[in-house]
Amino acid sequence: MQDNADAAVMNFPRRDARDKLLGRTKYTIDVGGSEVIHAVLLRAEVASAQVLRLDVEAARSMPGVRAIATWEDAPGAHGIGIADHPIFARDVIRYHGEPIAAIAADTLEQAHAAARAITLELAPLPAILTMAQALEKDAPLVHPDWKDYDILFEGAARGGNVAWEATVARGDTDAAFDRPDVTIIDGVYRVGRQSHVPFEPRAVVAAFEDGRHHIQTSTQVPWTVRHVTARVLNIPESQVRVTVPAVGGGFGLKFDCSLEPYAAILAKKSGRVVSLVNSRREEQMTCLCRENAEIRIRSAVTADGEIVGREATVLMDCGAYGGEQVFLTTMTAHTLGGNYRLGSVRLSSRAIYTNTPPNGAFRACNGVYNTFALERHTDEICDAIGMDRMEFRRRNVVGDQDIGATGQVFEGDVLRPMIDRMQALCAKHPNSRKNGQRLDDGRIYGRAMTVGTWFIFVGPSAATVNLNVDGSATLVTSGVEIGSGSMMHALPQIVAAGLGIAPEQVIVKTADTDAAGRDLGVGGGRTTVSIGAASAAACDEVRDKLLAVASEMLQTAPDQLVLADGRVEIRGRPGSGTTIQKVVAEAETRTGPISGSGAFTAPGIEAMPGCAAGHFIDAIDIPVFAVHDCELAIDPDTGQVEILAYRVVQDVGRALNHRAIHGQIQGGVVQGMGYALHEEITINEQGCFDQTGFEAYRLPLAQDVVPIEFDLFEGAPSCGPLGTKGAGEVPILNVGATIGCAIANATGKQVSQLPLTPPRVLALLDGRDEPLALDHISAVWSDNTLRR
Amino acid sequence: MTITLTVNREERIFSGDPRTPLVDVLRDHLRMTGTKAVCREGFCGACMVHVDGAPMASCLLPVGSLDGAAVNTIEGVATREHLNAVQQAFEDHDVVQCGMCFPGMVMTMSRFFQTNTSPDRDEIKAAMTGNICRCTGYERIIDALMSIRTNEATP
Repeated sequence: MQDNADAAVMNFPRRDARDKLLGRTKYTIDVGGSEVIHAVLLRAEVASAQVLRLDVEAARSMPGVRAIATWEDAPGAHGIGIADHPIFARDVIRYHGEPIAAIAADTLEQAHAAARAITLELAPLPAILTMAQALEKDAPLVHPDWKDYDILFEGAARGGNVAWEATVARGDTDAAFDRPDVTIIDGVYRVGRQSHVPFEPRAVVAAFEDGRHHIQTSTQVPWTVRHVTARVLNIPESQVRVTVPAVGGGFGLKFDCSLEPYAAILAKKSGRVVSLVNSRREEQMTCLCRENAEIRIRSAVTADGEIVGREATVLMDCGAYGGEQVFLTTMTAHTLGGNYRLGSVRLSSRAIYTNTPPNGAFRACNGVYNTFALERHTDEICDAIGMDRMEFRRRNVVGDQDIGATGQVFEGDVLRPMIDRMQALCAKHPNSRKNGQRLDDGRIYGRAMTVGTWFIFVGPSAATVNLNVDGSATLVTSGVEIGSGSMMHALPQIVAAGLGIAPEQVIVKTADTDAAGRDLGVGGGRTTVSIGAASAAACDEVRDKLLAVASEMLQTAPDQLVLADGRVEIRGRPGSGTTIQKVVAEAETRTGPISGSGAFTAPGIEAMPGCAAGHFIDAIDIPVFAVHDCELAIDPDTGQVEILAYRVVQDVGRALNHRAIHGQIQGGVVQGMGYALHEEITINEQGCFDQTGFEAYRLPLAQDVVPIEFDLFEGAPSCGPLGTKGAGEVPILNVGATIGCAIANATGKQVSQLPLTPPRVLALLDGRDEPLALDHISAVWSDNTLRR
Repeated sequence: MTITLTVNREERIFSGDPRTPLVDVLRDHLRMTGTKAVCREGFCGACMVHVDGAPMASCLLPVGSLDGAAVNTIEGVATREHLNAVQQAFEDHDVVQCGMCFPGMVMTMSRFFQTNTSPDRDEIKAAMTGNICRCTGYERIIDALMSIRTNEATP
């Protein structure tokens, strides 16, 4: 296995680069031509209303119109945990941008014209636009019928505008907070929404072929698209085939089914190939953002820094429908409840309905803001008890045999040695600057180091490997290439190492639900781990079959044979064996072509019984840790923050492709810098986003960034193939935390919110920043639960 | 209205609304989809083409203003066998991720290296400002571009 692992490590370049650089790659948005007709959605332009009348008859007779769909065409509701989401508004509009009808016509202009011809009469309803409003006593309900919805996952508390509540209770926090020897630190934190802005918007091309739907789509989750489309259309899943061309960026946004069912319905109705692509404005205004969140953390800490009790409440705005936030309530246990040993802990993690566009998954979802809140809170603890920030972390970070929030036992000392590695990395660039010091140009210097806990999603993956007569191998999985490169780097490297061939000889087929087995999707850092493990298992089967035939050909026991350089050799006698091609040819005469299949799912780590309620997973299979350090300078006249240096020590298990991981770290940290400093979606009185395009939503530019210095921490325990952990999700995890803490250190002020835009930083410096108050989160933890 | 323009050294005729943005003429009418329409506001640079040699955002150019112009697109920059210097550097350094921004970036930076064959890092970053990338965080792209400074820039 060690030989295998070493053989898998290389800077294998991605094979899709050349066509992408030549403009030849066909993304879903590039599928077109005369046979394709175009669809648009009629979307609500109010946040909350009763639908009095919807009449599409006039639109049906407009020029070029081929099909129109409304709620009558999609009877089912979908969701995660709760089936609360119909794809068309029927009687009630719950958010600005909610689809009401879908129209397909010969041209996009004709489809838009027909949409304008639809009659829609509405009566306004009160709109809940903030979580504070949603939690008010006697607040109007976004879903008055919440009790009637199908429950898809049992065990959570729900009620009123609380879509989902996950709680953790381990130990006696009341006793901890009552101890005479503790200091109690109470902090509140708030973050806004972040928009993914993938350069390819959500897009789909649908056809109805031989009685089945064929959906080509820009997605991270072909099997979710298959499942949800079938559910809302009320048809068997086997009637839906999903294929995925190159995806022009996902970042979590495409981890949900979105446009696909509309196009599928229109394709069936029209008998034509239907393209449905979000305009940039639609993409922006209905982005399934990283949710805005509001957090309260209270800790009871002894003078020597022991955290004897912690209570926290996290409110996550799910928008009008539960969606991913329902699942993400689970993660607070491991992100906010992570990093540190806790004597006792109670957590309430709640998804709250509002009349705003639904939110979704975004790279290190939930973790990014919980790490910000936790690390700011940690620095506040250090200030309160007078302990050095790094000393506190060294004493308290989780290590070997420590227990997590839900009682799972961690294996291996990881975070503490990673802190050492970070200090060694920083020591390469010694400087005598102090927090709050004025630099020569008058700017204020700040620095911080933070820790973070994340985890790799596991779950089902399947793989088939076909060994071809030319000695190449074809890997068939439901993986998709979203840009991060797992399909281009790690997977061919793993298969090549498993079969002793060159990675160039591994053909990697992109997702087709008719060809490959089920898969949870590309996200959560799971591709290399889960699809990689299934692929490695498939290679094992191929290897066994290959060696069985070779054993007879070479008159040598299989355990004395090795696969390398496209040949089967007798161990210790290079050149003694034969080529893989010859063995495959021989196999075809004896047993037929050689192929293998492999599967993977969650190995199942145990939690402490009774600790967690309403959680989709109680313990994390593959924890991942990160340590970040940031140096920055604040211009006191403008509030502008410049990152001077940024360093990352990341737990990767084993680095299969150092250069590819570098690309993920650089890209992920820069996305985090945008989140920390200037990316923010704000919601106006109409319940719609203020940032409708690139002009108002400020993305990081080339001149905003610095090269990220990094050190990959290898060797931490992982059940991933060859000891790997996913490396693409994690780099963004503690960027908001580190920059937030550095700005707090520079200014000496309380930093409780992200992003830290220049006006917000100026307000901090000038003392105009009002302390954040979250009165709707009680200091009495149990008041923030439905089970009280 | 009929507009005649040269696209990648080939004469093409467009009949239709002269306000149609060049990017839509390229993508929808000529089915040359290498040029990407991303923000449609002139901010992201994914739709950069060369018009009479100058890099321009094709989403902001009404085709009616281009009668007689010579337009070069990403499809006309190189062949699969012979990438230009910028493309080759991007491939060699393995910097591509989702790839949506790269056609525009190749157009901008290919022209930039014709005007400045030995730029420093800051100059490269300044030249890149009009090309937004959501995946890479830029610096590895800059590293790749730094590697071709002394090379002969190719069109």
